[in-house]
Amino acid sequence: MTPTALRWIGGSLALAALLAYPYLFGIYFTNVFVTFGIFALYAVSFNLLLGFTGLLSFGHAMFFGAGGYGTALALTHFKSLPLLPALVIGVAAAVALALVLSPLMVRVSGTAFSMLHLAFAQLMYVLALKLRAVTGGEDGIGGFRIPPFRIPGLVSVDMKDPSSFYYFAAAVLGLSVFVLWFVTKTPFGSVMVGLRDNPNRVAYLGFRVPQTKAVVYLLSAGFAGVAGAVYALFQNLVSADALHVLNSFTPVTMTMIGGVGSFFGPILGAAIFGVISELTSRYTERVELVVGLILILVIMYAPQGFMGFVNAARARARARFAPGGATELVR
Amino acid sequence: MKPPRTALALVIFTLLLLFGAADALAAAPKAAFDSDKMADMSDFDPNNPVIPTGDTIKIAVVASFSGPAAVVGQIYFISVQWAAHDINKRGGIMVDGKRKMIEVIKANHASQPAETKKVAERMVLQEKVHVLWGTDGSHLMKVINQVADKYKVIAHTTAALSDELYDETSFSRYSFMSSFSTEQIGRAAAYYYGKVRKKEKKFYILGQDYLFGHSLADGFKKGLKEYYPEAVLLGEDYHPLFMKDFAPYLQKIKASGAEVIFTGDWIPDAENLLVQARQMGITLPFANLFLDEPNMLHRVGVDGTSGLVHVSQYGSEGGFFKTPGQTKAYKAWNTLWKTKWAAPYNTRLYEHGTGNIGSYIQQTYWLLSVIERAGSTDPEKIIKVWEGDSYQLLNGKVLTMRACDHKAIQDLHVEEYVPPAKQRESFNIAPYFWYEGTSSVGPSVMIPAKSVLPKMDRTLARCKDKSEAGE
Amino acid sequence: MDPTTAMYVAQGVHGLAYGMLLFLVASGLTMVFGMMGILNIAHASFFMLSAYFSYQVLAVFGSFWLALLVAPVVAAVLGVLCERLLLRRVHAFGHMGELILTVGISLVILEGVKVFWGTESLPIHVPAILEGRLALGGLDYPVYRLFVIGLALVVLGVLAALLYTTRLGMVVRAAVSDSGMVNALGVNVPLVFMLVFGTGTWLAGVAGVVIAPILTVYPGLADQMGMDAFVVVVTGGLGSLWGAFLVSVILGELNAYGVQFVSQLAPVLMFLFMAIVLAFRPMGLFGERE
Repeated sequence: MTPTALRWIGGSLALAALLAYPYLFGIYFTNVFVTFGIFALYAVSFNLLLGFTGLLSFGHAMFFGAGGYGTALALTHFKSLPLLPALVIGVAAAVALALVLSPLMVRVSGTAFSMLHLAFAQLMYVLALKLRAVTGGEDGIGGFRIPPFRIPGLVSVDMKDPSSFYYFAAAVLGLSVFVLWFVTKTPFGSVMVGLRDNPNRVAYLGFRVPQTKAVVYLLSAGFAGVAGAVYALFQNLVSADALHVLNSFTPVTMTMIGGVGSFFGPILGAAIFGVISELTSRYTERVELVVGLILILVIMYAPQGFMGFVNAARARARARFAPGGATELVR
Repeated sequence: MKPPRTALALVIFTLLLLFGAADALAAAPKAAFDSDKMADMSDFDPNNPVIPTGDTIKIAVVASFSGPAAVVGQIYFISVQWAAHDINKRGGIMVDGKRKMIEVIKANHASQPAETKKVAERMVLQEKVHVLWGTDGSHLMKVINQVADKYKVIAHTTAALSDELYDETSFSRYSFMSSFSTEQIGRAAAYYYGKVRKKEKKFYILGQDYLFGHSLADGFKKGLKEYYPEAVLLGEDYHPLFMKDFAPYLQKIKASGAEVIFTGDWIPDAENLLVQARQMGITLPFANLFLDEPNMLHRVGVDGTSGLVHVSQYGSEGGFFKTPGQTKAYKAWNTLWKTKWAAPYNTRLYEHGTGNIGSYIQQTYWLLSVIERAGSTDPEKIIKVWEGDSYQLLNGKVLTMRACDHKAIQDLHVEEYVPPAKQRESFNIAPYFWYEGTSSVGPSVMIPAKSVLPKMDRTLARCKDKSEAGE
Repeated sequence: MDPTTAMYVAQGVHGLAYGMLLFLVASGLTMVFGMMGILNIAHASFFMLSAYFSYQVLAVFGSFWLALLVAPVVAAVLGVLCERLLLRRVHAFGHMGELILTVGISLVILEGVKVFWGTESLPIHVPAILEGRLALGGLDYPVYRLFVIGLALVVLGVLAALLYTTRLGMVVRAAVSDSGMVNALGVNVPLVFMLVFGTGTWLAGVAGVVIAPILTVYPGLADQMGMDAFVVVVTGGLGSLWGAFLVSVILGELNAYGVQFVSQLAPVLMFLFMAIVLAFRPMGLFGERE
């Protein structure tokens, strides 16, 4: 069979598995998958800045949180707001925040970029705690109505049912990931990589660097907002935890574990993280020890992440089985 | 004519009889903790707990078992396991026609709402627990209640204190609160100062800047209006959680001329506040909720802790050991602590098994008693028994479960901390002190339940026409 | 001094005392971050570890001064080991690698502390000599806090003197500025960096011992102080001791007077200050690297 045929079959099987998932694995693991999906998108949006544009953000949680709070607040204050508009409002909040910050952020890079993001994310966090009347402070906003997914006249699906929510979330998150993937494959995606590797050259080629960076920034923030909005709908609760610095570190570790250089690395990282999280919560109380050791070991011995591991193995396999290759090596 | 007057007298007499009888009937609890029935606990070791498996009654203790707050999980576990171990040694509980043991399962939420939802769902969907017991942090208990409501499993609020958990938006008929709640705590403190102590008049509130801190302060202010109108509130400040330097706040309080500082702070804020206040030479008493942790008290010493006023949900007026049963139960715990338990359960924190630990143990006994009388783990049957139920704890206190909003009506106690020589008033058996190295509970004043009924949200449909006493 | 003035002055001294505490923690971090470019999330964990070590020394020997001598050194040694064995290898992967590694180290330290000393808080007392309060013209101020201010100033002075007047200091500054050149000149650059990292961690250790009598020593101590230290370093400028000092004092005073006058806003002021400074000078007040 040709590789393409194999890919089609593999893809169809995966799709079938995805569709049947809730019925195969039950409610609990369905919810685990949704959580994975949310953080996978979050990490991918983060990696748009890091892996593709070379900008390491230590405050990505503020866009995630903006999406979450935007949706939660909208649903709390507009009692009959439908599902998709609520989602869009959350995304709009994240994009708006990015718009406000972008004039500053696109003119810095390197350590300054990272630290500035840490600063503003912390400011958001403290404000969220402080403005209890609006954000609910430590306790957050919860218990808002989760609207059903409705196509007027056609269908109305209750989103409180875990399986239904799974399909909705999978569709939204999957579509988002696809859009981002598509962006990286366009000429614009090449410009992004160019910005990472040699911004001066890109400027000489006639691209306006700050504006280009701004577009990437808005994309990254917007999709982090999508993840946050879905999170708020899924949990029926969003609290300052979503803005905490630990939530900014999460996509960083996921991306690293999965592999920075690849688009799918963060998704893999989110999956691995999910598995580790499930295992530690069941079998040990020494959660910090396990996670800490894993982080140390991975960064020291597999710094390219899982994808790096895979790519290295693939390269070795190719070298071995290439015509004449093995004999070359042996000599 | 005679008949009307006689009739009237008869009516009045009958009414008096009825009310008197009703009163008497209302006073007797439907069940009580009987220390005579306590099993031999000498084999209880929290580090090697005997956890039954198979067809058991499963209780998930949802708490922080990892991270900086891991001590909380340890405290909850030993409390619930103690009660479970006792009942198991007595042969378990008869439910649905079979004798079943109690299985206590640890569920770690790592102090995060997302993790709380996940672990609560895992407990319900995979471990198939019958009760979710918890937890430290009302925002986390809210999540637990949501999961309980969604999957129709009983949730038992034993440590979270927020009134909002049972208001119109958050109420779930599957969740029951046996701990005290923020508003009634604040009112109890005000009642004590206004109706019992009647000395200090000038107060300053220093609370944590989140819902709990504010609700507690609101309760205190409400109580002052009701029970102590002559009191003066000189100021109120709310500090962020995990505050490092309290000096600026303390300076303000010092300058205000306040006589008492009211605070709901818990560790580490509570410890930092007390330690730094005493270092600054501020000897004012704190009216508090969580300044009862023995490590912190020992650090500050006898003088610095004398005069503290503590609102307790496990107090006892006139001495903790009034009956042989109470002494027996105490000694069962204390002897094991002295001779058998290893780290982390051999620290001062676990010495007496009273205070919050005692309360958690007794609240668990109530839960188990309800299940026993329901004769089933079916939530509907448990709800039927628990609503309106009343239970007498080891220390004589009676808890009544208000049917409309599932909050507990109970007497509260306000304790004054005194040097070891005076602790005899509450620790009325040898060696006649709680601790040698610090002030601790001395006089313990009962605040009657009817003066500190838990807050009722009248917008909750079930409670619309009910009085605060639940009728 | 009339009571109101006394109160304002007292708040000012409180701000200074807290600022100095911050400076002690942040000074080590800014040295390491600024001078070596290493993002050390575990810095606050070494600070906490040193506080726990001091408890141990106190428990065995009963001397606070011995603890002040020994505990920071032990913490520094551990820090140097981490640098030598772990950090050095991930330096090539930039900030992200350092972040992940040091987060891992901080988690392991958190767990380690719970394993050895338990989950409850540990009592550490102010040494007898420094107990009590001093009456300064109407002001009744705790002696220990004055000690903290004094110690921090001494530390600053010694560090600055070392860096700017000694040959060693010159070598360190040169190595930071252009390590390749300095290496070519025959100086053992890795050794210099190890020294810098060790000193930075030692400073955190000193802060840990000094803070222990005032703050609760419990497993969450690192989380409490960590963010504040970062704010100081980032706002003051990576690698700038003077920046760290200035910002520490500013933040301390902002906190004290914020609580006094606008107590509703006090917690926000710190991050607002940081955000504003960074918006105008992304490298921090005195930052110059990169």
